[in-house]
Amino acid sequence: MNTLFPYPTLVGEIEVRVKQVRIDGKPLSLSVVSRPQRAVALHQVERPNWEDGSIDLEVTLPELELADGPWSEVACVAILTEGSTNTRVVRRLQRDRLSSTWSGSVPVLRAMHRDRATLNVSAVATVGGVAGRTIGTADEAWIIDLLARTPVRQREIEIAEADFRDGPQEWLRPFKDAPWLVETAGEMPTILLNSSFEGITQLLKGSGNPLEKAASGLVAAQIAGEAWTAMFHSAVADLELDDDGAPLIPSGWRESVLRTMLPDVLPGLALADALIEVHNRHAAGYGWAELQSQIHFAASRRAQVPKNLTTAVRAITRSQEGATR
Amino acid sequence: MQDGQEFGPWLGRQLRRQNMSQAELAERLGLTRAAVSAWITGRAQPRAEMVRDIASVLGTDIATVHNRTTDAVTARPVRWYHRPAHADGGREFGNAAAFAFDADLAVLAREATQNSLDERLDTTQPVRVRFTLHELSGEHLSSFLSALKWEQLEAHYEAASESRQKVGRVLAEGLREMQETNSLLLLRVDDYNASGLTGPEYEDGRFAAVVRRQLDSHKSSDRAGGSYGLGKATLWATSRLGLVLINSTLSESHEGRTTRRLVGRLDLPWREVNGSPYAGPAWLGEADTEKDFEGVSRSWWADEKTASELWLERESAAPGTSFLIVGAHDAAGDADSLQEMHDKLSAALADNFWAAMTAGSSANAMLEASVCTMRNGSLVIPERRVDPRERHSALVRALRAYLDHETVPELTASEEVAYARVPLVVPPLRNTGRQAKGVEHQAVLLVTSADDEDQQHSRLVCMRGSRMTVMTRRPRDLGIGVDPFQAVLLAGYATGEGTEDVHAAEAFLRASEPPEHDRWGTTDELTATYPGASRRLTEFRAAMDSALREIVGRRPTRDVRGPEVLRTLLRLDIPASGGGRRADGHPVVRSVEGEVDAAGAWSLRVFLKIPPREDPWLLTPVAKFDVRSGGRPTLSWSELTAVENCRIVDGVVVIDPEVRSAAFGGVTAVGSHPVSATMAGVTVDIQKARGASA
Amino acid sequence: MNGSGVDIPDRLAHLPGAAASKHLTRGVLTGQEQPPRVALLRASAPIADQSARWECAPLRELLEEAMRRFADSRSRADAWLAPRLHATLRMSRNEAADPAIWNFLALVAAPDYVIWRHRSPAEARNGEPGSVSPVRFTGPHYNQAFARLWWAAELFRNGENYRPAEIACGNQDVLNTALRLDAIDHRPTALAMVRVLEGLSASGASRLGDRVNALCSAVNAAGSTLMYDVIAADELPDQDGLRDWIEGADSAPAVPWDRLPDGPDDGTAPRDSVETLTRLFDKFQAEAPLRIRKWQPADEPSAQGVSLHKDYV
Repeated sequence: MNTLFPYPTLVGEIEVRVKQVRIDGKPLSLSVVSRPQRAVALHQVERPNWEDGSIDLEVTLPELELADGPWSEVACVAILTEGSTNTRVVRRLQRDRLSSTWSGSVPVLRAMHRDRATLNVSAVATVGGVAGRTIGTADEAWIIDLLARTPVRQREIEIAEADFRDGPQEWLRPFKDAPWLVETAGEMPTILLNSSFEGITQLLKGSGNPLEKAASGLVAAQIAGEAWTAMFHSAVADLELDDDGAPLIPSGWRESVLRTMLPDVLPGLALADALIEVHNRHAAGYGWAELQSQIHFAASRRAQVPKNLTTAVRAITRSQEGATR
Repeated sequence: MQDGQEFGPWLGRQLRRQNMSQAELAERLGLTRAAVSAWITGRAQPRAEMVRDIASVLGTDIATVHNRTTDAVTARPVRWYHRPAHADGGREFGNAAAFAFDADLAVLAREATQNSLDERLDTTQPVRVRFTLHELSGEHLSSFLSALKWEQLEAHYEAASESRQKVGRVLAEGLREMQETNSLLLLRVDDYNASGLTGPEYEDGRFAAVVRRQLDSHKSSDRAGGSYGLGKATLWATSRLGLVLINSTLSESHEGRTTRRLVGRLDLPWREVNGSPYAGPAWLGEADTEKDFEGVSRSWWADEKTASELWLERESAAPGTSFLIVGAHDAAGDADSLQEMHDKLSAALADNFWAAMTAGSSANAMLEASVCTMRNGSLVIPERRVDPRERHSALVRALRAYLDHETVPELTASEEVAYARVPLVVPPLRNTGRQAKGVEHQAVLLVTSADDEDQQHSRLVCMRGSRMTVMTRRPRDLGIGVDPFQAVLLAGYATGEGTEDVHAAEAFLRASEPPEHDRWGTTDELTATYPGASRRLTEFRAAMDSALREIVGRRPTRDVRGPEVLRTLLRLDIPASGGGRRADGHPVVRSVEGEVDAAGAWSLRVFLKIPPREDPWLLTPVAKFDVRSGGRPTLSWSELTAVENCRIVDGVVVIDPEVRSAAFGGVTAVGSHPVSATMAGVTVDIQKARGASA
Repeated sequence: MNGSGVDIPDRLAHLPGAAASKHLTRGVLTGQEQPPRVALLRASAPIADQSARWECAPLRELLEEAMRRFADSRSRADAWLAPRLHATLRMSRNEAADPAIWNFLALVAAPDYVIWRHRSPAEARNGEPGSVSPVRFTGPHYNQAFARLWWAAELFRNGENYRPAEIACGNQDVLNTALRLDAIDHRPTALAMVRVLEGLSASGASRLGDRVNALCSAVNAAGSTLMYDVIAADELPDQDGLRDWIEGADSAPAVPWDRLPDGPDDGTAPRDSVETLTRLFDKFQAEAPLRIRKWQPADEPSAQGVSLHKDYV
């Protein structure tokens, strides 16, 4: 969706490069920075209790466009935010006259961040007599991950092994006979594999003969299908509403889940319409039950159930043929 | 600095030049022929008063005879000598070496410059190489052709261009273009602080290697690298007339002289002119007076005027050679205009020699190269030094940090250069006996972040010798998600070090290169010379990858968890299958235009993309203010108007059936603005009208 | 129901959201049942840090005093409790962003307070008991019963001065609406909004709640074009001041009940910046249309919702 502004904004791109990362004054290996992923991983096994980090940036603004345009008092600011700590740190960058780039350093204070901060850059200028107008923002923000050791943008659904029967997590005891559990209440959905359920983890690591592989694929598809269903329900239940009661597209994994599944759940509807429809049915209960088969279909499609089932059927057929020969 | 030639050989040449016999000279001096013969064979020296008489007979002054740095009579006629065909009637269709190459300015720049680097004289200073494109037309062309003695060539060209071979076609095209456009392109390649074409006219030496032989690679040191026997042939290949003129300033005197040794060489196929058959090359020079080469044109010590007329005058007395390629062209076809050729030369120099052109703060570069372009003696594009940083800034940064000892063990900032050593075990030579041990050479690996502009990256540039690129490898097993980098491997002399292992490694790696010098692999020479060479090369490559991985590889991750089979089914980042197709199933807002009107309302024009269908679409347009976070406030419409392919019914946009696009206008109600319209961005969305049939 | 006689743990701990939400049964949400304390304690992870700030007793004392003081008008407890809770439970933002600490506080240490403060009245028609929305136990920072107060105090205080936070928490619309806005993560913006609210209150403006919502809407919308951070610069909080204050928890006396405690001395927002934005927001406020409320947060009893502004009229 493109936004129309009541004043001229920049057409050209704003490019952001992370030049150096330091914690407590010590420069980190550049392997913590990924330019293609636009991600920085700040977690250091060797230095878990750091306090004071900084990220050096270099930014290129569309200088030619700026020079000819109606903007004055142009400033370039780096904005580091993290929703969970309500932290917002804004730093002005300095323009280098020779290279026409803007550069500066953004502080990352450990006490003010929890796990993932977002770093973006905006150009700000006086336009039409109004100071401080945002006239452009980098297309994609950088991710500053304080817990990751590798700089990756996309977070993954967590898969963890836990001993449901004798493990330290008391609340899992009631599920001791379940081979797995899908948990969507946390910040990221988690799939807990019950290590006290004999054979499940070995089965999923399944290599070896085609039959074992097929079984592994089938179980994985079933777990994934349940996970997608649970995630979809959770995302729909957690929808936030607009001023006029319309559901907002959520952020994070919920957005990914809804975007990928809604076209299968309510085919033929635009995302916004599908969101309204699914929210209304969930909130009012009307037609919610009827939607379940669609949700199930969408989830099994994500989990590649048909493909894995076909593979399993073929493997079994072949093994039987082998036995009769 | 010019050492006079020995008296005997000098006098002998003077006699030949003047067609005077020893007996004749003896008679004019009133001596016996035996006395003169004793001088010429070096058994005796003339007394002082006799020198005056000799000078008088030769028609020169006493100083010339004393110094013997010039010939007594300089004005022997310069002419073209065309080599007659072999008596056995064999027909050579042109210079095999020259036509092995397609004339490509990039190849020329590479080969010619590598030759200059190999002939660098003072190794503490850079060799300077300059490429000058020079277009001649009109009077400038006429006077050049006359200085070139074109009249002695014309008939040969015409005959040769009738050949049906490739060389004939190239020649015909070159001649036709010169006649039609009345212009000719010269490309001059100068080097300074180089050896120059030293040595005798016909026997072994630099001069003969370039001018007389075709595939002789005369190399002055074991640092040399490229395919230089063939390399010089690119000079002739670049001329569509097969013609190159040469002026060399020698670093060691020849015939007592060093300055302005001129010669021209033309490569033509078999031809018959005026009933006489000719084969192969022709040379421009003085007719030789030595018995074995009587009549052959040989290099001559030209005066400034002649050199200038031939556009061969050099800018300084520094030793080196100027090659003038007459009728230069780029057969690769991607450079037609002067500007394109100029740029192509600059780019080729930067791409092939960025390393040799890189200087440290205390170490000079090995090479300085420049390109300039002229037309009829006036500059068109001024001379400009090729700056390696312009095209390869990250690689240059890597090498410079090494030269300046500013490398780091681990990369922490994007301008930094990491340094590591890569071992290469050089096996002992086969003939050194069983006890001989191999030596371990420590090649240098330099790594830095790629620059945003880099076209090629994440490869390892491997160099040896005078920092010439042998190959560019794609490293293996670096793991996924490695940030783009630039890496250089310096082996052998390229390390700039001089220990024993460096010499051994240089020899070993040179032996591992095929004639094209483009890879380190197993060659016949290598396996014949070194036992177990193949395995050592494999280890060397593995060591490169491992050292590189150490620097750029991601830290091993333990936070990757869960069985792969399950993780792949739970990826959040893949788009919905078939999502693109479905997205086309409903109308979408293609663009919105508008402005805040005098009343403070947004006046908007909304353009829609419609999937055509038989029923009308019923759509509710929704305008909202953009916000910093959270839900966007919806604005009411004070007015909606149909613009194209639609009607407005009770605030619903009814799209005509079977249309692909539609547009409507809308004005927001100011009373519904939570803040002045001039303070907020606005968005327009369309939803299916509630209660309307889908 | 009150906490007396209940076995209160000595120290706070971390209760994972997944474990917490499993026990939010109907009975717990209506206050008819106690959350299963042992099961919850088992599911919780202790905090290794031995600091006195994780002790439960000072918090219990504070909450019981709040329930005593505001027995008649529980929503007014927020303004009193927010700064005192913040000054008792001294944490960095990093620590406060962990929902597990708030889950533990709500389900194990003080479920009675959550019920007291947030339970809706019994349904008049069918006599169903009133209940509390689950988000008051395990919700986002702007919903959870204690997190919303702590974060309101954190975001609206000016250095060690809690007075702006007290004013902000005196208005339910600030807590319900402004606390959700990313815009208030910029301290001069948050303080300027409080200044505007203060001015409105002092002038006896009508429909104060609607005006606050309109102001929030305007600030949020204008924030899409205006970079408040550029027109009103702020400085980073002084980490040393914050650390000293947190470490002082071990020796600090209990918070005063009748005057405001002191917050961390980590620097105040530049006065010019706050004034610049106050002038701008005053203008927004004066121009903003008052909207008719369309909907209420589900767990706020409607009677209370519409009568909110009466506190100030």
